[in-house]
Amino acid sequence: MIVLDSLLQGILMGLLFALVALGLTIIFGMMDIVNFAHGEFLMIGMYTTYWTSLLLHIDPLITLPASAIVGMLLGLASYYCLVKYLLRGPMIAQLFGTFGLMLFLRYLAQFLFGIDYRIIQKGLLVGKTLSLGPFRLDWTKLSAAILSLIAFLFVYYLLHRTKLGKALRATALNKEAANYMGIKTDQMNALAWMIGGGTVGIAGGLIVNFWYVYPTVGLLFVMIAFASVAMGGFGSIKGAFFAGILVGMIEMLFPMVGHLTGWDFFGPHFKFTVVYFAYFVIVVLRPQGLFGWKK
Amino acid sequence: MAFLEVTDLVKDFGGVVANNHISFQIDQGEIIGLIGPNGAGKTTLFNCIVGYHKPDSGEVIFKGKEITGFKPFMTNQEGIGRTFQIMKVTTGMTVLENVMVGAFCRTDDSHLAKVEAAAILGFLGLDSVKSYHLNELPIASQKKIGLARAIATQPKLLMLDEVASGLNPKETEEMVDLLKKIHQEKKITLFLIEHVMEVVMPISQRVIVLDGGEKIAEGLPREIVKNERVIKAYLGEKYAKGI
Amino acid sequence: MEKIRDAFDFRDFSKPEKVGFAIFTLFLLVFPWLGAGSFVKAVAIQFLLFSLFGMGWNTIGGYGGQVELGKAQYVGIGAYTVALMMVWWKIPFWASMPIGVLIAIGYSFIIGYPLFRLKGHYFAIATICTSLVLQDIFINWKLVGAAKGIELPIHDHPDFLYMQFKSDTYYFYFIMALFYVAIFYMNWFRKSKLGYQLRMIKEDEEAAESLGIDARWCKIKAYSIASAFVAVGGGFLAVYNLYIDPYSVMDLDLSIKIALMSMLGGAGSMWGPIIGSAFLVPLDRFLGSWLGAQKGLIGVDFMIYAALIMIVSAYQPRGIWGIIEQFRKK
Repeated sequence: MIVLDSLLQGILMGLLFALVALGLTIIFGMMDIVNFAHGEFLMIGMYTTYWTSLLLHIDPLITLPASAIVGMLLGLASYYCLVKYLLRGPMIAQLFGTFGLMLFLRYLAQFLFGIDYRIIQKGLLVGKTLSLGPFRLDWTKLSAAILSLIAFLFVYYLLHRTKLGKALRATALNKEAANYMGIKTDQMNALAWMIGGGTVGIAGGLIVNFWYVYPTVGLLFVMIAFASVAMGGFGSIKGAFFAGILVGMIEMLFPMVGHLTGWDFFGPHFKFTVVYFAYFVIVVLRPQGLFGWKK
Repeated sequence: MAFLEVTDLVKDFGGVVANNHISFQIDQGEIIGLIGPNGAGKTTLFNCIVGYHKPDSGEVIFKGKEITGFKPFMTNQEGIGRTFQIMKVTTGMTVLENVMVGAFCRTDDSHLAKVEAAAILGFLGLDSVKSYHLNELPIASQKKIGLARAIATQPKLLMLDEVASGLNPKETEEMVDLLKKIHQEKKITLFLIEHVMEVVMPISQRVIVLDGGEKIAEGLPREIVKNERVIKAYLGEKYAKGI
Repeated sequence: MEKIRDAFDFRDFSKPEKVGFAIFTLFLLVFPWLGAGSFVKAVAIQFLLFSLFGMGWNTIGGYGGQVELGKAQYVGIGAYTVALMMVWWKIPFWASMPIGVLIAIGYSFIIGYPLFRLKGHYFAIATICTSLVLQDIFINWKLVGAAKGIELPIHDHPDFLYMQFKSDTYYFYFIMALFYVAIFYMNWFRKSKLGYQLRMIKEDEEAAESLGIDARWCKIKAYSIASAFVAVGGGFLAVYNLYIDPYSVMDLDLSIKIALMSMLGGAGSMWGPIIGSAFLVPLDRFLGSWLGAQKGLIGVDFMIYAALIMIVSAYQPRGIWGIIEQFRKK
């Protein structure tokens, strides 16, 4: 029973991880850049919802679009002010560029907000649980999972059913060819960053309902996102979805194993370590992940 | 015993059989040309021999030793050198340093490598550009440097991938002379993939023709140009000069 | 013995470089007698230490072009080996340091073998992962002190066996000696077969393979060399600080700083890591202490760092040395 409960929790968290991974995989699929600042985008999304709901006395669910918008703007600004120039340089520069962005945003947050841990205290769903048979689910987590799913489906629809989405995917597959068709690479790149920033901003807005936000919270999530994207396959949206859920389950089940076997090793303190380790193993053994294409 | 023996080579890319049971032999000291229309499988064959691809079946035997599936660095150490059709233009190393890397294949000593590299550059008439970087030089020079690099590894067999592409007629003539010089003075067997007939026909002792993944002809250059299958394969090809 | 000759042969450097380096050396030799305060001395020591770290990273990250962000795990291995051996078995520094280096090299081969199947971003992330995993293990491993770390027993008298001194001057000359060993090594390295092969791998790995270079194996070798360098620095840290824990010696931030020093100064060049370190270490310490004193400005020092990183990445990826070289060409 406890196992099933863990599994369920895992899936819920997993949907959220999937949403976080989505932005990362889109950006990578588009231009082969790993956005190290992705976790910081999340963190800013978290702070946005936190502060807007607190200062404006609005329910955090309603301030969600604010996180989305801030995320999108952040993505756009990052592209036009930094990433655009990084693309011209060698890989080492690209790596360090987004790394610098990550540090900058992290310490900007530290400067602006201090190092205190914060979490949403007041809201329609905060603290309430849903009883579903023998399971008790936090409404915040449940709603976050559902909204993640909706956001995911929305992006999927955008990418696969709209003209804009087609243009985006065309550029991802072959920049030059798409250029010849009149699709400006620069704009598509910016769009990718906008979607990436927006989705992870939403994820942040959802997570802050049940997870503490502090300036360095991004690191944890970005590593989880990396692991998910690697497992699912860099550039694959389906991959991000399933891998995110998988990671969520691993993260929940790992301490479970400790409970069941009594082995101290399998404790909660290692549950993310497992994820890092899993990334390493997967990327070495199956570089294209579950759904990616072999580069 | 043949110098290079390719027996029944098959390479299937999951839908396209790029090399369909190809067999041929080269003797030491020969100059062999490999021609065929685009998509015939020349590059795949080339890559299977040097080790960039692993053949699905068949054998590659070099100097009596089976090298099928050997990685590129291994085939090089065995004595097979290669040039690239499109060279990545390096900016961090000078011409001399580039060639030294090749020389390091056969020695651990940096001073020896430097001397060797300088000698090869001299041999190919590239002395004057020793200290330049590849991105500062015209294509003809870049190609020669690619040759120099490969020769520095002291190959017994040198495989050239479209060494004449991108060269104007005068440069092409120079390249032909250079290849002859390499063949005679360094005693290196040459195997060339080529589209430019002005290079292949004059210097090849034998020509192998591929089309659609199969070997369709093999023989002296003057026989090949009259071969019906070969002419048919090239019909419609934009650059069927010399035929 | 040619190796030794090569290490001391600086002939192919330009005159300004040689003169600059000579002046620099002289300056370092007399530095402790110039009357600087203990804070400045500490910064100088840290500058030399990070130069050492940076030079190590430079072998695989600069010359080899494989950006790796996990050097801290080797700092940790070096530091912990020295610390634990002293605390448990009273083994002197001069015995425990080489052992630490050997362990670091061994570990780097074990990790390196699968690691170098990867390239580019995947590789970089994987190096972060390995470092995080090791750090997590150490944080939770009671045998090595877990999160509390290890305190080394303090000796009252200057002790060359255990490398413990009251005065910073000893530590300064010690790290300076290590620094110069590293410089001579790098001078040999960049002219060696491995150095050339690595550079070719960085420029064009495919071509390198066609020239008989086993790229993967070369990378692993360079990675091990880097790990050894860094482990030496780690050992130094242990006897200098007399306290280590997984956060101070194995942290991701440390890995980033190490890579950053090289990159800012000019990855793949001889002086790059030193220039980068000379620039960043004082910046870090002085900013940190000045800003730290002003309440409400925490984090600004890092913000400036970060902005620097972004600007360099966007406009001059070849670092400060790259800028200097551009001027020289004109």
